[in-house]
Amino acid sequence: MDSTKKELGLLAKAASEFAKKQLAPDREANDQYPFGPFFGSVLQKAFEVDFFHVLLPESMNGMNQGMSALSVVLESICQEDSSLGGIIFTTTAAQELILAAGSYSQLETISKAETISDFLIALPVFNNPSEVKHMVQYKKSGDDYVLSGNLDYVVLGGLAGHALIPANSPGSTKYAYFLVDLHQNGITKSEPVLSLGLHACPAVDIAMNNVKGVLIGEEHKGSECFQRMSDRMHAASASMSLGIMKGSFREALDYARKREQGGQTIINWSEVKMLLSNMAIKIANAEMILESACKSIDLKESRWEARSRAAALHIQDMASELTTDGIQVLGGVGYMKDFGQEKRFRDAKQVQSLLGITPVKKISFIENMI
Amino acid sequence: MITRKEIHSYLSREPQFDDITCSLKAISRQPKGIMNETKKVIAMARKFSDEVLRPYALEMDRTMQMTPDYLPWDLVKKANEWGFFTLWIPKIFGGHGYSIPTLSYFMEETGSVCLGLSNLICVHYLAVSTIFGSWNLKMINTICRYVAEGERTGIPCLLSTAITEPGAGTDVEDVELVDHANVACHAKKVDGGYLINGSKVFISSGHVSTWHMVICYTDLENPSSNMIILPVKTGTKGFSFGRVEHKMGVKICPASELVFDNCFVPDDWVLCGPEDGARTKRGAKGTNAQVLDYVLSSSRAGVGAWGAGAARGAFETALDFAMKTEVNGKLLVNHEWAQSMLAEMYKNVSIARLAYVESNYANGLYGMFKSIQVKPVYYYLKFLPKSLADKIAGPILNLYQSTWLFRKIHLDWQKDEEFHRTAGWGSLAKFSGTDLGMKNCHMALDMMGQAGLRHDHRAEKMFRDSKLLQIYEGTNQLNRLNMFKCMVARNYPQVKVFEKEQ
Ligand SMILES: Cc1cc2nc3c(=O)[nH]c(=O)nc-3n(C[C@H](O)[C@H](O)[C@H](O)COP(=O)(O)OP(=O)(O)OC[C@H]3O[C@@H](n4cnc5c(N)ncnc54)[C@H](O)[C@@H]3O)c2cc1C
Repeated sequence: MDSTKKELGLLAKAASEFAKKQLAPDREANDQYPFGPFFGSVLQKAFEVDFFHVLLPESMNGMNQGMSALSVVLESICQEDSSLGGIIFTTTAAQELILAAGSYSQLETISKAETISDFLIALPVFNNPSEVKHMVQYKKSGDDYVLSGNLDYVVLGGLAGHALIPANSPGSTKYAYFLVDLHQNGITKSEPVLSLGLHACPAVDIAMNNVKGVLIGEEHKGSECFQRMSDRMHAASASMSLGIMKGSFREALDYARKREQGGQTIINWSEVKMLLSNMAIKIANAEMILESACKSIDLKESRWEARSRAAALHIQDMASELTTDGIQVLGGVGYMKDFGQEKRFRDAKQVQSLLGITPVKKISFIENMI
Repeated sequence: MITRKEIHSYLSREPQFDDITCSLKAISRQPKGIMNETKKVIAMARKFSDEVLRPYALEMDRTMQMTPDYLPWDLVKKANEWGFFTLWIPKIFGGHGYSIPTLSYFMEETGSVCLGLSNLICVHYLAVSTIFGSWNLKMINTICRYVAEGERTGIPCLLSTAITEPGAGTDVEDVELVDHANVACHAKKVDGGYLINGSKVFISSGHVSTWHMVICYTDLENPSSNMIILPVKTGTKGFSFGRVEHKMGVKICPASELVFDNCFVPDDWVLCGPEDGARTKRGAKGTNAQVLDYVLSSSRAGVGAWGAGAARGAFETALDFAMKTEVNGKLLVNHEWAQSMLAEMYKNVSIARLAYVESNYANGLYGMFKSIQVKPVYYYLKFLPKSLADKIAGPILNLYQSTWLFRKIHLDWQKDEEFHRTAGWGSLAKFSGTDLGMKNCHMALDMMGQAGLRHDHRAEKMFRDSKLLQIYEGTNQLNRLNMFKCMVARNYPQVKVFEKEQ
């Protein structure tokens, strides 16, 4: 137990140092994407230090760690810039989906890729495909599958070598996932979609015209794979939110200690203290909830799935509230790009939409219980 | 059953009858013409939204994300062509003379489509109310006529208000705080006028405005009694623009730094200063509080209207999405939970609207619009031919006696409880409307999931824009305290607001 804690501590330290050194100094510039340059060199470095390999099995060059480990990495990264967190989240979610479908050989090949672009897997990670009408259809052509149609908001679609595409066969409401090589002919990608948050974790709309896809798992079983991935990755999305919360609180506290109004530093106004206290209380609770949820996942305790989802739904609500206050403590400068608070406010809201529409996720939570 | 004395006594209990019945009292006194004007203004705002706001808003916001220093001159010109910079300036000052409460409806309407563009048009009226708050009729007449001239010539003449400084934001919003503030914008008395030194930050529409109402201090050690409002024209020696802030939202309306380096303003232009304050009943500090309250009570009602607009924009965007999108096999709008969320959002819009409307009624009865909403004055101004207004009213307004009379009516004769009521309602409308606006933006994004995150679906822009409303015109925290001060604390001598805590 202690050694696990130590390992997690070391991982958190490494991620935190990386974030402070590689992400914090250029946060504003990196957030300019798609109207500024992409932080490709930072991404490459994150790849080299294995932040994309946390959950992968050792046979796939992975760290073979659990959700607690992924969680500390994402939390540390997102304290500084959650765009990189979004890229790690998306790729890891795609890896998890493939593993959940049992398509080990596909993942094995990708996981041994030498370049970051060949390693990344794009995924429409803000969508639960069961919730929406399918625009991509597949048909069988000999031993192969051929996909046509449009898919919106495929995260990393402009960067990754492959994408996991949900598609159904004509007449069926059930879907399956297909691994699609994004370099092939018949694929048209939009410019990066201008979005609320996570600017440097870009998404594109993709149009497919008879492109080849490799079936992941079984036909009609996409939903089950998504659920399994989603059960685990909810906790990971919560850790992104927690990271954003911590970043927001730290900046608010620093500012409140320095800024003077009414003849004293604003931290001495009890109204400001109350804002900061509410933020600190949310973080303390989120830490406890998340730690416990991750442990449940890693130990496969009973109802770990519900705990993972509940943690995310609750922590993401808290993150939305907290980041609003995070701006408020800074007053006017909180609204400006020179400080990190406005980005955290946008990112927190964006992260809340990971894995599907929030109220639908809440309804499914109870439906899974009854 | 109940005596007159008892009635009086019961109605003066908290909550005081007059505090909670502004609309009831105002409606019977309101000139009928205001209803028609309101209809016309809302229709005009909708037309403008269809023809200008909707087509331009997203593209413009995108452009500003790409080139944050871009200045939206083309849109300023367009708004000028529509007559929006003079529509709410009384006829005797060269404007079209629409009654000022209708501006709030305009703000809700246009704010529901694009808060950025709506700001670009309407913060101009924050400056108009700053000039009016001084009750210096000669200067009101002078500056408003420049604005009217700008409409006639097609060269827009916008106004901005500059009070916030790098070291003092919340502090300059309240005279109780300003004496402890790090204010640095100094107006030094020199022969024939004042020299301004210092800077102002976050000034909405600064770079695109021609006149700036600069609120500064003749004595930085004792600013509450030494506030002075000086109009500075773009191009004046010693005045320059600093940076355009890079903001999260409301991008179409630039927030500017104004820099003053020995910038001279002649005595004749002073809107109001310590000497004017000293001549009034409440003295300089009390009058400065009143002047600020006049301005803020009306502008905060306006920001509340933007809050209602933000809430409404979010509601309408979510509703539109829910009408067109299938979730789990049926239209989103047919899910009971979604109907309940939409109902909640509709309620938020309505509550925000009620609050700003009530605040406008308070201003009409006791505040900024009091004298022009009295029926005879209203109809006189409405039917006065423009040529007569220009010929006769102009010279009268320029008389010192006119300013004296208006200052008597609005400063000396305004009762404490009246300005508490208008200031209290202004703050209440501001923080409740803008909190509800933000709430609806959250709910819209929650309902829309992935689609809501995209710039092309509008909801994310509203989310970014709406947040500003909780910050400017005093943070919502400051406005809560101000409301408490005005509506609650006034009756309890033991209550101290803004007292330093150990
Ligand atoms: C886009 C934009 C446009 C603007 N436009 C204009 C404009 O046109 N003209 C203009 O003059 N100004 C303008 N402002 C300035 C705006 O009014 C101020 O930002 C606002 O009043 C807050 O001041 P501040 O930013 O200095 O925050 P601060 O005063 O530094 O406040 C920081 C925090 O401390 C809290 N705080 C401060 N004092 C107290 C206290 N006594 N008790 C409890 N809490 C306290 C605040 O509530 C806040 O949470 C604009 C601001 C922005 C962002």
